[in-house]
Amino acid sequence: MSGRGAFIALLFLVVAGAVSASSLPLADINIASDDRSIRRGAETVVTVCMNCHNLKYIRFQNLLDIGVDRDSLDLWKSDKDLNAPLIGYTPAAMALDIYGVVPPDLSLITAARAHGGRYVYSLLTSFYTNDSGNSDNHVFPGIMMPDVLGYSFASDDKERHDIEKSASDVAAFLVWAADPNAGLRKKIGVGVIIYLLILTLLLSIWKRHIWKDVFKSGSNSA
Amino acid sequence: MRKSWKRWIDARFPLTSFVKNELTDYPTPRNLNYWWNFGFLAGFVLVLQIVTGVFLAMHYKPAAAEAFNSVQHIMRDVNYGWLIRYLHSTGASAFFAVIFVHMARTLYYGSYRAPRELMWWSGQMLLIMLMATAFMGYLLPWGQMSYWGAQVITGLFGATPLIGDHIVIWLRGDFSVGDDTLTRFFALHYLFPFLIMAVVVLHMIALHTVKSSNPSGMSLHAKDNIPFHPYFTIKDFFGLGLFLIIFCSFVFFKPEFFIETENNVPANPLQTPAHIVPEWYFLPFYAILRSIPDKLGGVVAMGMSIIVFALMPFLDRCKIPGGACFRPVFRAMFYLFMADVVLLGYIGAQPPNATLTIIGEIATFFYFAIFIILPFTSHWENRMLLREEKLPDAARTLILEERYIPIRRDEKKNGDAP
Repeated sequence: MSGRGAFIALLFLVVAGAVSASSLPLADINIASDDRSIRRGAETVVTVCMNCHNLKYIRFQNLLDIGVDRDSLDLWKSDKDLNAPLIGYTPAAMALDIYGVVPPDLSLITAARAHGGRYVYSLLTSFYTNDSGNSDNHVFPGIMMPDVLGYSFASDDKERHDIEKSASDVAAFLVWAADPNAGLRKKIGVGVIIYLLILTLLLSIWKRHIWKDVFKSGSNSA
Repeated sequence: MRKSWKRWIDARFPLTSFVKNELTDYPTPRNLNYWWNFGFLAGFVLVLQIVTGVFLAMHYKPAAAEAFNSVQHIMRDVNYGWLIRYLHSTGASAFFAVIFVHMARTLYYGSYRAPRELMWWSGQMLLIMLMATAFMGYLLPWGQMSYWGAQVITGLFGATPLIGDHIVIWLRGDFSVGDDTLTRFFALHYLFPFLIMAVVVLHMIALHTVKSSNPSGMSLHAKDNIPFHPYFTIKDFFGLGLFLIIFCSFVFFKPEFFIETENNVPANPLQTPAHIVPEWYFLPFYAILRSIPDKLGGVVAMGMSIIVFALMPFLDRCKIPGGACFRPVFRAMFYLFMADVVLLGYIGAQPPNATLTIIGEIATFFYFAIFIILPFTSHWENRMLLREEKLPDAARTLILEERYIPIRRDEKKNGDAP
């Protein structure tokens, strides 16, 4: 048994306790995390999704952090304050009237679903017209939301490809919205881990130095 | 100058002698391996949880209407609030991971045996207090899993005969989990760590009375001890470095690993999630709860599965030192028990189905069976090993000569410590 064994055991315990993955038919795709995808996604979300959905934990000024230019921002927020949250254009009561449900807030939607980014992408590209001529969804059967990106009525591959790109951008933006500090966190994390690796290496050398005179007794079976 | 203030303090408070006796000259077995690092790590995580928790409490609002929003406020608006929160949420899991390894080490090396029973029992109490603290803390983010987890677990107390319903209402402060539950859980979640701190002090006083056990399991001669400082300060800090590398990897790169996706949906008393799962560290016990078809029986079994550890000093009748090192039967039982706990943890995480329920029932039976047969196997092992001379000479001589009565020998030996 060694120190390393301890940590492997610890990790094993953690992994064993993890809940199994979702069984939904999600597309196997990596959601981009570059600012340009996120910005394009922001535009789609503000101009399309926000017709019904809120993103109440995001303020207009947060969009400046992902590099949205002031002109677009002024256009989107119109007379609202820069500090105002992103609230959809349909009041909840009216949405309830039309769809029978209040559309969920999207600020945390990718954090609230397993494989959130892939979930959003798959949902947006899984609309189809069922046998009775109604719009339905493979990922979310019985969904009340209409096929806003128009995937189910796309006529050719190029159009489908454009919608897939757009869906992926929306997913990228919503992943950002769920945890806007993730980029900063990972950047700091690299520095922290490098620091800790050097520190631990030095501590290990120091430990060896201090312990070099200690005779290990034969009874140590470990 | 430095000497004079030391003299001033020492005349009023035993500072120099305390540092000397409990740190710089504190005798520690030289053969401790890295499994002995986890007590220190548990202390570190406790301090980390208290410090991050205090800062979270400065921005958190313990009210049903505000709680979820205030966590998002911490995550988005408070400077480095995300770091404080992720340190705290990951720290909870790290705490249990470290404590479980610490307990497994104690079981493997038989450190619960005389004269360390009070250490084992105070540790047992710490585990239960830690579980209570973690459970109450998990309600605070006020997500769906927080809410329904608390609803299910407080509901378990309804199984108490006669006064069950009253206890549930008394715990919740309401007929179902709500604003009053959240407020009292917050108050207690803030209180408990300080009670834990107090029991940790008792744990440490007991430790410094009986001193550390060691992998050989024998009480060592004075010459085999080395001062805690610098040998074990540096060893503990090196271990801390390794721990922090893993811990920070989760905090900075995979913090959501320990946060159930369902808990990012605000608590909704009208909508039960499809599948309620507790945090990973409760899963084996949760599986035991679900394995017993009767509600009261399940609750009792779950409670017993934790409390049964306290009986270890009585159940293990073997006097051979070194825990599992020199004891093949006990070693096999130890590893089977670990495997059983992991299996139960897996079952606890899955939605119940017929096959898993049967496996869970067998695993639960096995869990308790290990404890029940231990007095017999350990007694048999004691006789067999001593008779057949299968022990290393050193261990054998020590047992036969000293009849393994460590406490009395220790007291004599401490007189000529280095």
